[in-house]
Amino acid sequence: MEITQTKHGDILVIGPKGKLDANTSKMFEDCLIPLIDQGHKKILADFAQLDYISSAGLRVLLLAARKLSEGGGKIALCSLKPSIKTVFDIAGFSTVFPIFATQQDAITDFTK
Amino acid sequence: MPTKILVVDDEPDLELMISQKFRKQVRDKELQFDFVKSGVEALNKLQANGETDVVLTDINMPEMDGLTLLARLGEQYPLIKSVIVSAYGDMSNIRTALNRGAFDFVTKPIDFNDLEITLKKTIQEALTFKQAVKDRDQLLAIQQELEVARKIQQSIVPRKFPAFPERKEFDLYAEMIPAKDVGGDFYDFFLIDDERLGFVIGDVSGKGVPAALFMAVSKTLLKATALKGAPPEECLQQINRILHLESVSAMFVTIFYGILNTRTGEVDYCNGGHNPPYIFRAGGGIEMSESTGGLVLGAMRNTAYKAKKMALQAGDGVFLYTDGVTEAMNRNNEQFTEERLEEKLKAGRDTTLPKIVSHVIEAVKAFSNGAPQADDITILALRYLGKS
Repeated sequence: MEITQTKHGDILVIGPKGKLDANTSKMFEDCLIPLIDQGHKKILADFAQLDYISSAGLRVLLLAARKLSEGGGKIALCSLKPSIKTVFDIAGFSTVFPIFATQQDAITDFTK
Repeated sequence: MPTKILVVDDEPDLELMISQKFRKQVRDKELQFDFVKSGVEALNKLQANGETDVVLTDINMPEMDGLTLLARLGEQYPLIKSVIVSAYGDMSNIRTALNRGAFDFVTKPIDFNDLEITLKKTIQEALTFKQAVKDRDQLLAIQQELEVARKIQQSIVPRKFPAFPERKEFDLYAEMIPAKDVGGDFYDFFLIDDERLGFVIGDVSGKGVPAALFMAVSKTLLKATALKGAPPEECLQQINRILHLESVSAMFVTIFYGILNTRTGEVDYCNGGHNPPYIFRAGGGIEMSESTGGLVLGAMRNTAYKAKKMALQAGDGVFLYTDGVTEAMNRNNEQFTEERLEEKLKAGRDTTLPKIVSHVIEAVKAFSNGAPQADDITILALRYLGKS
């Protein structure tokens, strides 16, 4: 799967494209977790290009959130398609992760 | 361990020359040579000591010639690679030998540099082949263990139906089809006391052995906690705390746990991040159970869970499922979806529970149309039949 990485100041924006399922989530994990280990503390997952997420994908986000909170970091999400938002709502993840409508909203919140 | 080479030739000089040429490799225990004078002797030697990697054999020998030996080797010792020694220009014998499975040949008089290169190449082939067979055997052993694990897992969910033939107030039916050999889905049901029936469905993030272990822990914890009679939200709260401690690399499980009061038809339930089950009414309606807003279990240590109630009249039922049903894909990457599930439920609701469940499973299979099953498929259906 393709995963874009861009920087906005000290915020690292990660954009997975396509499907985060049992197969591709390992790739997402291998991309995201080393970035946290390298010391990135503010991570924004931009899901504008994401079409599907399974529980395996949710697990990677949870793992990232745990690692970040250990080091005083934070992860936020933005631009979720309605079908992705439903998955987050059902799993109860919408109450655990800060979710923003647009990338700009999320970046504004990070820099508050 | 040295690579073992069996040399089959009736010329006495050869043993001397080979021992001379390869003395360093023999001294360093890289190679070990055995020498015999005919095909019969070679087979006897192999039978007494089967650990041979390469056979180097002449063609013309007394008792049994090299070509006959090759045929026997192919039948009895398929892992051994052989090199034949033949007279220069004897193409017809060389062709026959290669057709009988010889790996390579050298010609007489033997050029020992060529023999060294040929042996090296043959040994490499023999060792690669041996390793491949070893790897295959190991994989087969793992597969057999997985098959055992699958049987254990299938046996820890209740599979006997009707589960409570003496109870006339309700009926139950469930099926679980793992995507891999072992999966992360589970269901369970049990009588908490004479009046209350606990029922549960769950789905662990991920698949395979790690998910199966987490599934077994989740199922056991839930039942142990639930049998104490605590309300659903307290059960989920308690096992969430324990699962959070057990959750390696952020694994989690979605759990829907309900308690049916068999006297009143009222169900207390709590949903920890699971797909909302459907309520199918005796009158024909289908409703999605209301969300209780709970988080998946094992994700966060301190999570509060809330319970809700649903009222079942005689003939009403609850259909619980995992996302392997609604997210089953066909070859065009389209999902089965809730809409298709609702249609199937509406069409089949008047019949028995096993028929409702198999109706849905058949529909998912037909929809997938041969596309591989990506996720575990689990369904638990419950119907309240009224106070007896």
